[in-house]
Amino acid sequence: MTEGLRTEEFQVNMGPHHPSTHGVCRFILTMDGEVIVRAEPVIGYLHRSLEKICENRTYAQCIPVMDRFEYCTSMCCNEVFALAVEKLAGIEVPEYAEYLRVIMMELNRIASHMIWYGTTALDLGAITPFLYSFREREDILDMFEMTCGQRLTYNYIRIGGVSKDIPPEFIPKCKEFLATIDHKIDDYERMLTENPIFMVRNKGVGTLSPEMAIAYGVSGPSLRASGIKYDLRRDDPYSIYNRFKFDIPVCHNGDCYDRYIIRIKEMRESAKIVRQALEQLPNAEVNTGKMVKANFKPAKGEVYSRIENSRGEMGVYIQSTGDTKKPLRVKMRGGSYNQLQVMPELVKGVKIADVVAIMASLDIIMPEVDR
Amino acid sequence: MTFEELTTYLTEKFGDKLELLETGKFEPFFLIKKENLVEICEAVKTDDKLLIDFLCNIGAIDTGEKFEIVYNLASIKKNIRFDLKLVMEYEGAEVDSVQEVWPCSNWYEREMWELYGINIKNHDNLTRFLLPDEWDQGHPMLKNWDAPDFKRMPEVE
Repeated sequence: MTEGLRTEEFQVNMGPHHPSTHGVCRFILTMDGEVIVRAEPVIGYLHRSLEKICENRTYAQCIPVMDRFEYCTSMCCNEVFALAVEKLAGIEVPEYAEYLRVIMMELNRIASHMIWYGTTALDLGAITPFLYSFREREDILDMFEMTCGQRLTYNYIRIGGVSKDIPPEFIPKCKEFLATIDHKIDDYERMLTENPIFMVRNKGVGTLSPEMAIAYGVSGPSLRASGIKYDLRRDDPYSIYNRFKFDIPVCHNGDCYDRYIIRIKEMRESAKIVRQALEQLPNAEVNTGKMVKANFKPAKGEVYSRIENSRGEMGVYIQSTGDTKKPLRVKMRGGSYNQLQVMPELVKGVKIADVVAIMASLDIIMPEVDR
Repeated sequence: MTFEELTTYLTEKFGDKLELLETGKFEPFFLIKKENLVEICEAVKTDDKLLIDFLCNIGAIDTGEKFEIVYNLASIKKNIRFDLKLVMEYEGAEVDSVQEVWPCSNWYEREMWELYGINIKNHDNLTRFLLPDEWDQGHPMLKNWDAPDFKRMPEVE
C-alpha cells in the first residue's frame, strides 16, 4: 500500500502562544511525519531591553529592574546584582542581613521549584499537582508579602543589606511552613514520582549527556541531572552558604525524569538550609545594613558575579567607569538562555509531544532568555 | 588555584599574549589581542591544569570610545574562574567566533552582532535574534543610539 506514496518534510509552528512555552517562545519544527527533524527557537517576544535600561539608571535604581529579569526568583536576581556592586565598591554586609538574604533566597528557590512542579504536570496533562504546589507557594508568597509588601517583584535585597527587617510574625509562620513542607513534598511525590503515565512520558526522553551539557553551558539542576556535581553554593560560595550543611543531589541518566527527581530533592535541601539559617539567626544584633544613597558611585572596575539560581547559574557583569553614578554596562546571564540553546539538539528525533516534556523539565522561562 | 597562582601560571604560559588588567576585582582580567583569541581559548580549554570547559558569558561593551568584549570563563573540573577581554575600534569591528571551542557562544555572539553591530567571523547563523524581524533602527546598545521615544534619565546630584 505504502509503495509509491510521496512523503515530504513539513513545518509546524509551535508557539509563540503555546501554553507550555512558559512565556512567549516560538519553535519552528521541521517534521517528518510525527518525528522532529530540526527545531529552531525564535525568541525575543519578551525582550524589554533591561540591559539598556540599567545603563540609564543609578545603581540603586537597577535593583527593581533586576526583579523583572527572572521574576520567578526575584530575590536571587536582587542578590546577584547587589553582590556584584558590593564587590566593586567593597561594601561589607552585616551578618544579620546575610542570614535574611539566605532565608529569602532559599524560600524563593522552593517557590520557583513549585511553579516548575505544577506547570510540568500541567504540560503533561495532569491538573491536580498544580493545585497542590500553588497552595504551598501561596504560603511562601505570604511570607514575602509580610516582609516587603510584594508578592512577585520584591526589591528586597539591596546594595549593602536588605530593605527592612522581617516582621515578628515571620518566624512563627516560617517555622510552621518548614514543619509541614517535607510531608507536602511527600504528597507531591506520591502524585507523580511513581505514576506510570508520568514515568513513560519522562524516562529516557530528552537525554542530555554531561559533555553536551557543559559544552552548551547548561547549569544548575539540569547539569546535576546529567551526573555533574557542580553547585555554586558549594563550589564558588557567595554570601554565607559555607556555614550550612546541605546535600547536592545528583542523578546520572540526564533524562527528563532525572531532572524531575533533582528538583524535588532540591526543595528538601533548601528547606534544610532555611531551618539552619533560622536557628543561627543572630538575635542579639538586628542590623539590616546601610543602604547606598542615590548618588553612590563605586570605584573604577569590572566584575562578573554569579550565584546558583533555581534555573542554573545566574550571573551579572558590571563595569563602572568610576566617574558617573550609572553603570557603563550591565550584562545579565540566565540559566534558561543556555537551556533553550541546547533544546534543538535534544528534540531531534523525538515526537512532538515530547518537546513539551523536555521544555518543561529544563525549566525554561522566557523573560530570563529575552531580558 | 588562588588569584596569584592563576595569574602566574597564565602569564608564564602565554607570555606577552596577555596582559593583566588593574580593573578586575576578585577574578583576574586579562587583555588579549583579537588575532590570538581562538588560539588562547583552545589552549586554556585543553590545558591539563586549567581545563576551562564552561563559558559563562560573553558581553560586549561600548565605552563611548571603543568596543570591548569580555569572555567570562570557568572550569567545572578545576573550579577556576577568570576573564578575557578584547578591545577594538568602532571602525570595522570584527571578531572570530569561538563556537568551535564552546558551542554555547553561538547565541552570545549572535546577540552581540545584532545589538552592537560587531561582525562575527565564522559564525553559522547571523540572523535577527532579540529584535523584531522588521527592525530598522540600527544597533540599540550603542551609547550614541537614539530614538524618538528613548529618554535619558537626568544625572543624580
